[in-house]
Amino acid sequence: MPFDLNVNGRRHTIDADPSTPLLWVIRDHLGLTGTKFSCGIGQCGACTLHVDGQPVRSCSVAASTAVGKRITTIEGVSPDGNHPIQIAWKEFDTPQCGYCQSGMIMSALALLQRRADPSDADINASVTNACRCGSYHRVRQAIHFAANLMKNGRR
Amino acid sequence: MSETKRSAIDRREFLSVVAASSGAFVFGFWVPERAAAQNAAPEINAWIVISPDDTVTIRIAQTELGQGVWTSNAMMICEELQCDWTKVRPQYASANRDAREKAPEWTLKVMGNGATDPKGGGEPGFGNRDRTGVAGIPDSLYRRMRTNAASSVKDGRYYLQLAGAEARERLLLAAAALWNVPVAELTAKDSIITHTRSGRRTTYGQIADRAARTPHPNPEAITIKSPDQWTLMGTERKNLDVPDKVAGKTVYGIDVRVPGMKWAAVKACPVYGGTVRSYNFDAIRQLPGVRSAMQFPIPDAALTRGRIFSGGVAVIADHWYQAKAAVDRMPIEWDIPQANAAFNSAGMRATLLAALDRPGRVRVDQGNVEDAFARASKVIEATYSTPYLPRARMEPGNATVLVTNDRVDVWIGDQSPQETRFSASKITGIPEENVYVNLCHLGGGFGRNGNGPQAEQAIMIANAHRATPIHLLWTREEDFIGTTYRAAGVARLKAGLDADGWPIALEVRTSMQEDGFGPESSFDVASRYYVPNYRFSNHTTKFHVPVGTRRGIGQAAHEFYRESFMNELAHAAGKDPYRYRRELIARTSLPYKDDMIRALDLAAEMSGWGKPLPRGMARAIALEERGAETNRMATISAMVHTVSISREGKVKLERVDVAHETGFGLVNPLSVKKQIEGQITWFYNDAMHQANTIKDGRIVENNFNAFKLSRIDEDPPEINIRFFETKHWLLGMGHDRATSVQSAIGDAIFQITGKRFRDLPYAGQDLSWS
Repeated sequence: MPFDLNVNGRRHTIDADPSTPLLWVIRDHLGLTGTKFSCGIGQCGACTLHVDGQPVRSCSVAASTAVGKRITTIEGVSPDGNHPIQIAWKEFDTPQCGYCQSGMIMSALALLQRRADPSDADINASVTNACRCGSYHRVRQAIHFAANLMKNGRR
Repeated sequence: MSETKRSAIDRREFLSVVAASSGAFVFGFWVPERAAAQNAAPEINAWIVISPDDTVTIRIAQTELGQGVWTSNAMMICEELQCDWTKVRPQYASANRDAREKAPEWTLKVMGNGATDPKGGGEPGFGNRDRTGVAGIPDSLYRRMRTNAASSVKDGRYYLQLAGAEARERLLLAAAALWNVPVAELTAKDSIITHTRSGRRTTYGQIADRAARTPHPNPEAITIKSPDQWTLMGTERKNLDVPDKVAGKTVYGIDVRVPGMKWAAVKACPVYGGTVRSYNFDAIRQLPGVRSAMQFPIPDAALTRGRIFSGGVAVIADHWYQAKAAVDRMPIEWDIPQANAAFNSAGMRATLLAALDRPGRVRVDQGNVEDAFARASKVIEATYSTPYLPRARMEPGNATVLVTNDRVDVWIGDQSPQETRFSASKITGIPEENVYVNLCHLGGGFGRNGNGPQAEQAIMIANAHRATPIHLLWTREEDFIGTTYRAAGVARLKAGLDADGWPIALEVRTSMQEDGFGPESSFDVASRYYVPNYRFSNHTTKFHVPVGTRRGIGQAAHEFYRESFMNELAHAAGKDPYRYRRELIARTSLPYKDDMIRALDLAAEMSGWGKPLPRGMARAIALEERGAETNRMATISAMVHTVSISREGKVKLERVDVAHETGFGLVNPLSVKKQIEGQITWFYNDAMHQANTIKDGRIVENNFNAFKLSRIDEDPPEINIRFFETKHWLLGMGHDRATSVQSAIGDAIFQITGKRFRDLPYAGQDLSWS
C-alpha cells in the first residue's frame, strides 16, 4: 500500500509496508544513506533524524508514524554542508570514523533549535548518541561554537 | 585479448552504470578505469595523479577508519611534492593493482634503522611476508596495503615521502627540459615551478603530462626531508574527509548500492563451531520481497587466521529489512558442538585462575626470586582480571559482492583487502588477479574491522547467486557473534619489598586464552620498574571464543595489571605513587628511561600533582609504553587522571593530563590529539562498563542495551595534552594510549572509598563511601 512521506521538503511516494522502520525507508527506498543503522533498537542514536523538528531514532519507529509530518535528515540540514552546526563540526575536526556523526549532529541541532544557548547539562541530557571513537570532547565544544554562530545570525 | 584486459573493460562498463545510478556512491572507492576514461589526468607515479587544473589526487593504500590516515598519508607525500594543499584529494589505491605491479625500485632500498636513520626516517616494519596476504604481498606496488598495529605513519613515512620527492623531481626535470635551463635553477612551491632568472613560471597541472613521460635518471639519489626541514608535516591539519562526514556524504560499506543488488540478512549459530541442521524456507518464502535462502558452512579457518566461527543461514530479499524480518521468522535448528556449549564465564574464569597456581612458560627469570622473597620485609600479592571485549564498532559488519564467471568484485570497508582478495579467490575458484576489492571508509575499525568473517560469508552467498550483486549486512546481534574478542585474562603479581618499601622481588604470572594477542607485552624481556629479581611466566588455555587483535591488544590488559600493582606497592610502602614510579624507572638501565621519567614528570606537573583535593576526589598516575625495553622504536606517554566519586558511588573522570612524546616528529598533531581523546573514552569504557560474558557457549551481551557504551555525560570535562620532544621514531599511538584510565580509576576508588577492586569493569561494584 503506497504512502507519502515529506522528506527534506520533498514529497515522495513510497511503495513499502508502512510498518517498515522509518530508517529503512529513508535508506533503501529513498537512497538517503547519511542516516545510519547501528543497533536497531533505538539505543545508540546513529539513525537520529527529525520528525516535525523532534529528534527521532528512526530504526525503531514505523514509517507510517511519519506520514503527514516533516522529516529532515542530515542531507536536508543544508544544501552545501555549511549550516552553522556543520561549520562548527568542521572547525573542531569533530568526527573520527564519522559513522555516528549524522545522528549526533541531528540530536545537537534539535537541542539548539529548542535552546539557543545550551548548558553542558542540557547537552548531557539531550545529546545521548553513542560514539565509539570517542569524539565527545569535540562534540561538546562544537555545540557551544555552533550556538554562538547561530546566535550571531549565521542562520 | 587476455583475461585480465577483458575484465578491465567489463569493469569500466559496469562501473559507468554504477556511476550513473548515484553520484555520491562512486566517491568512496577507487575507480581506476573510470578515472582514466573521464579525465585522463597524468599519473606521475603510483601515488600521485595531477590534473590540468592542478588538482592533486593522492592514492591511499590504508583504510580510513577515523584515525586520519587519508590526511596523514597525503601529508607525508605532499611534504615532498610541495603542492598546494588546498587542491589535494585523497582516493583509495587499487588493491588489485597493488598485487599486480611491483613497487618502484627506489622505494625498496629503505634506509635507516629506527633511531639511527641517517636521513631522519623510520624503518618500515613489514613483518612476515605471508602469501595468504595476512602481512602483505612481497614488494607489492604500494608496499603495505593494510591498516593495522597503529603503523600507517611508522611504516609508510619513508616510502611516502620518497614518492612525493620522486614526483617533485620529475616535475622539475620536465620544466627544466621545456625551458632548456639547469634544473638546479628551478624552485617548486605550492604547485608552482619558478625560474627566477628568466621570470618564467608554470604550474604542476600544466607540466604534469610532460613529467609523467620524464623518467628520473637516478632515483636512488633522491633524498627525503628530515624533520627539521618539514613545513607541512608536524602542523595541525584538519582531516580532508571531514566535510563529507558532516554532510552525510561519506560512503561506508553499508552505503554501497549496485544496480540489481539484493540484500542478505543472516543468522549464524550463536555457539561458535555450530552449524545448521535444518531450516524451513517454506515458512517464509511468501513474505514480501523474499527471493531465496541458503545455508553456509563455517568459513574455512585457513581464510580466517585459524579462527572457528559458525555456520549459518542467509535470506536474500529485495530490501534488507525484508530479509531481516524473514530470517527472524524462519525456523532454524542448529548442530551445536556440546563441548563448546559447555563453556560458561564462571568456569572459564576458574580455569584461568587455576592455571596461575601451576608453573607456566617462563619468559624471563632474572636473579633469584625465591631467595629474595625469603628475605623480603613485606610480601604483597594481588590477582587481577579482564573480561572478553569486542570492538563493537558502530557500523555493523557488511560486504557487497558480485561474482560472475570470471571475476569477483567486493565493496567493503576493510583493513586488509589482500586477505579478502585471497578469500574471494579461494571460495569462488576465480583467479586472484580477477578479484577486485573496492575499499570504502569504515565506521570504526578497532582491529581489522572486527576480524570477522563478513567478507567470507558474503562471498559464499554471492558465489551461490552468480551475476547478482549481494549486499550482506549483519544486525548488531550478528555483529557480536561475527567479531573476534580480546581474550579474557587474569594475572597474579607478587612482590617482596625491602625494609624501605622498594621491591627486591617481582613475580608476574598471566593466564589468558590461547591465541590471544600480546600475551607477553609489557612484561617481557625486563621489568619496566627496577627489581633485581624478576620472573615472568604465562599460561594459555584453549577456549572456543574467536580472539583477535582488538584495539590495545594484550597490552591494554597488561598495563592495567602492572600499573594497578605499582599503585598497590606504593601505598604499601607509604610512598607517593608518582615518585615511587619515577625512582624505580631511574634505577633501571632501560634505553628509554629518561623519556619515561620526562613523561611522568610532565604529566604530574600538568595535573598539579600533590595539591590538595576535596574529599571525594583523587588523582592517579600511570605510565604507558610500548617498546621501552628495546633500543629501537617505542612510544611513551604518561597520564594523570583526576577522579571524583560521590558518596552514592557515582564515578566521574573529571580531568585527564596527558604527556606524550613526539619522537622525531608527529605527522599530524591534530590527529594524534583526537586519537588520544578517543582512547581515553575507549579505555574508560573498558574500565567502567564493558564486558562480554559466556553462557552455554554463547555471547550473552549482544546489543547496546546490555553492552553499555558511555555517552557525552561521562566524557571528562577537561583534557590537557602536551607533547615533549624525543629523538627516536615512534612505534605508533593509535591503539595503546590511555590504558592508564583503567588502573587510575581503580586507584582513585581505593583512595576515596578504601576499597580495592581488581576485576574489570568496576561498574556494578558498590563504590559508595561515607
